[in-house]
Amino acid sequence: MEFFRDSHIDFMKYRRFWIGVSLLVLAAGIFSIFVHGQLNVGIDFAGGTQLTLKFAESPEIDRLRSVLSQAGIEDAQIQRFGESGENEVLIKTPTAEGTEEGSRDPVVEAIDRAFNEGDGAELDLNRDGVEDVAEALLAADPDNVAGGGDAETARAHYEGVADAVLEVRREEGLIPAWEALAGAPGVSRAAFEVLRAQAALGEFTVLGVENVGPQMGRELRQKGILAVVLSLVGMLLYIWFRFELRFGIGALMATVHDVIVGLFLFALAGFEFNLTTIAAFLTLVGYSVNDTVVIFDRMRENMRKTPQKPLVEVMNESLNQTLSRTVLTSGTTLIAVGSLLALGGDVLRGFAFVLTIGIIVGTYSSIYIASPFALVWEQYFGSAARGVRKGARAASRRTSGRSETPRRSRRAS
Amino acid sequence: MNRNLLYRGLLILVVVAIAAISAWPLEDKINLGLDLRGGMHLVLEVQVEDAVKSEIDNAMERILQDARDEGISTVQARREGEQIVVTGVPPERDEVIARIRQDFLGPSWDWDRFGDRIVFELTAAGRAEIRDGAVRQALQTIDNRINAYGVSEPVIAQLGSSDRIVVQLPGVDDPERIRELIKNTAFLEFRLSDYPRAGGGASSREEVLANYGGQLPDDVEILEGDITDPEGRRVGAQYYAVTRRSVVTGRDLKNARPSLGQFNEPVVNFTFNPQGAQRFGEVTGANIGRGLAIVLDDRVVSAPTIEDRISDSGIIRGNFTQREVEDLSLVLRSGALPAGIVYLEERTVGPSLGRDSIEQGLRAGLIGFGLVVLVMLIVYKLTGINAVVALALNVVIVFGALAYFGATLTLPGIAGIILTVGMAVDANVLVFERIREELHAGRTVKSAIDAGFSKALSSIVDANVTTLIAALFLFQFGTGPIRGFAVTLSVGIFASVFTAVFVSRWLFDLQLARRQRVERLSI
Repeated sequence: MEFFRDSHIDFMKYRRFWIGVSLLVLAAGIFSIFVHGQLNVGIDFAGGTQLTLKFAESPEIDRLRSVLSQAGIEDAQIQRFGESGENEVLIKTPTAEGTEEGSRDPVVEAIDRAFNEGDGAELDLNRDGVEDVAEALLAADPDNVAGGGDAETARAHYEGVADAVLEVRREEGLIPAWEALAGAPGVSRAAFEVLRAQAALGEFTVLGVENVGPQMGRELRQKGILAVVLSLVGMLLYIWFRFELRFGIGALMATVHDVIVGLFLFALAGFEFNLTTIAAFLTLVGYSVNDTVVIFDRMRENMRKTPQKPLVEVMNESLNQTLSRTVLTSGTTLIAVGSLLALGGDVLRGFAFVLTIGIIVGTYSSIYIASPFALVWEQYFGSAARGVRKGARAASRRTSGRSETPRRSRRAS
Repeated sequence: MNRNLLYRGLLILVVVAIAAISAWPLEDKINLGLDLRGGMHLVLEVQVEDAVKSEIDNAMERILQDARDEGISTVQARREGEQIVVTGVPPERDEVIARIRQDFLGPSWDWDRFGDRIVFELTAAGRAEIRDGAVRQALQTIDNRINAYGVSEPVIAQLGSSDRIVVQLPGVDDPERIRELIKNTAFLEFRLSDYPRAGGGASSREEVLANYGGQLPDDVEILEGDITDPEGRRVGAQYYAVTRRSVVTGRDLKNARPSLGQFNEPVVNFTFNPQGAQRFGEVTGANIGRGLAIVLDDRVVSAPTIEDRISDSGIIRGNFTQREVEDLSLVLRSGALPAGIVYLEERTVGPSLGRDSIEQGLRAGLIGFGLVVLVMLIVYKLTGINAVVALALNVVIVFGALAYFGATLTLPGIAGIILTVGMAVDANVLVFERIREELHAGRTVKSAIDAGFSKALSSIVDANVTTLIAALFLFQFGTGPIRGFAVTLSVGIFASVFTAVFVSRWLFDLQLARRQRVERLSI
């Protein structure tokens, strides 16, 4: 199966139109993000606490909100997380300046009070660690191993049992009901009965915590912006070095366009902007330039072959020749990333979204932005333009009497 | 098969074999990041200012005490910012001050006389030393505590040369407890009670203050303690005026362990080291009948009356739970933190979240891989198999390199591998498209293949270098998970260039070598 053999699409024909469209979209993007502030900035950059909780039964968001505001925690963002049957909830709270440690403890305590009231037991199999469970078992000694006088072996035995109990929790995140423990390997019937009598199965568990103090958030913000800016500059320098400045400018415009459009669509989709997504944007930069470079490489080759041909024609020719490859590579990368978007889970969804958008927009920009901009740069600032101007000056000098051979405009190299 | 072909084939075999062996079995050989394995990542900052302040206070105490011992009874001292201002020392006795600084304070301090005031100041070097010492000691203390708690493969390190310490603990089930354990300053002091002299505390600060006529003497301060009911619950506060100077501190402890007290309540049983024991013995012997406040982090835990000279051991009783007693003993044994710590950043991932992530990532990866293989076969027919083999080897080499170099695989890292799968075919596509063009232009199969590879090479190099630049910045800028991504992306790029240029070429040459002239290429 071949694509686009001998295609002759005139890409450059409507270039002014496409440049106009792109500038418009860019403006809309910049406005929406920076002026309108529509970007959902995660705690990595804004500072704050993010808790992932799993409940035995699906909690009502409103109830959670009122529990938290009773504890004095306003401004909490609560949303469901993960697959629907999993009863997982994400709670995000901002951190006040000067308190680095965030609201992890107040939130957990408030929810504990509200959902686990009346439990009575001190041991919560959904919250406590191996030592506490082992202690309780050791005290009750259901397996009758402590009598022999060797405290160490008895303790080790019950630590093993506790570990087996917690393994159930590690697998599922939460032990939903006593039945889930009943058949657990390594837990004897007697031990099970002891736990059932003495311990409680809390209504929720903390699956994960992320807390970024305001100081750290500030630093990460600065580092992030620096990284993106520096990598853009790095790309520009590399392309300037390998090709020419005009191509470097073209590639830079295309990449900046991709980043802003990517951000714009990302903000529209409402994904959270955090460390992982900045990594995705940096990758986007790399990929976009990657794409553009392949096309430029072909142009360079063609310019060497036919140096007299005007740049517009060379560009069109090169674009047509590489079209097949561009579509195919973008296609396969899109398949890989699309698979990640669809199946990769919540944590990576924003990341995969950025990459997916990046590939589509990057391909578009490599064709419709990089080359037109390089062309425009060439026309206004390039060596050919300079040659034309010099020729004009020489011509005017000749008419005023001084003789000077007009220099031939430099060939495109 | 000619020699060249054979050697190249062997090289490929060796590379793949090393990779495969390094990475098999996968679960054991690959280093999983915290976001996949589950665990805690903490960045904490040592409040070195506290350490500096307490060092200055100690120095001030020292100056006062020694000057008084030398008979300068009029000496007064107070802290002003980071300076110690000493007054009441007549100029003739300056050599005493000089001796104190020489023998006890050391080169970190400079002093000068300004009229009737003597000002002590920390040198810059002295300050830096306190700061470094505080961080180092905090590092050691946290290390002790975590090792005592028993976490496998912890990572505890200073971040560069800053005041920050990063702690990584895989596989933690009870992160709250560990957080408390690390943070607990656990500064234990034994101080003599001034008012009430013995038998418990006063019910309010005012009452204590009244005893001194409203003005506390220099060497006394008021501390708060809890009143608890028989069940051990806190029901109120009581106040003690205690000496500022401590008799002994946690540093003088040789051991501390959980034990049971008189009524079978959990207590901490401690023993002193020889110097501590001696000093403790002297003071208790001279103060029978007086209250001894056991102060933990500036709170009075208990204040038993000294009934007899105590020398080397005792108990701390304070309505603790079993767990509190264990943690306290652990923390006392590991040493006190020289300064407070603040958690700047925490990321804790429970093991179930990690496992879900791995599952989802692998699923996405396998399906992505399958689809890409399908596309390559449809578009390039039999030559597509060339690309598929290269791709498969690519994945093997990536995992092998990760395992061999002990790199950490994180969730973004898995995404990086998936991305590499998508991008790796790019190099192949560049070559194949070129070969198609050359075939169209009329070249023979062999020369088309040659031309395809040589002309596509510069594109391949340029394109991959730019992605590599991005990966470099990611590595520089990123932490943990992002670095994992940068690493897998970079490894993937190198592997894909190797497989596309070297392995694919070899496969083509293998195909060509099978017969004398190859007329057509299925591409």
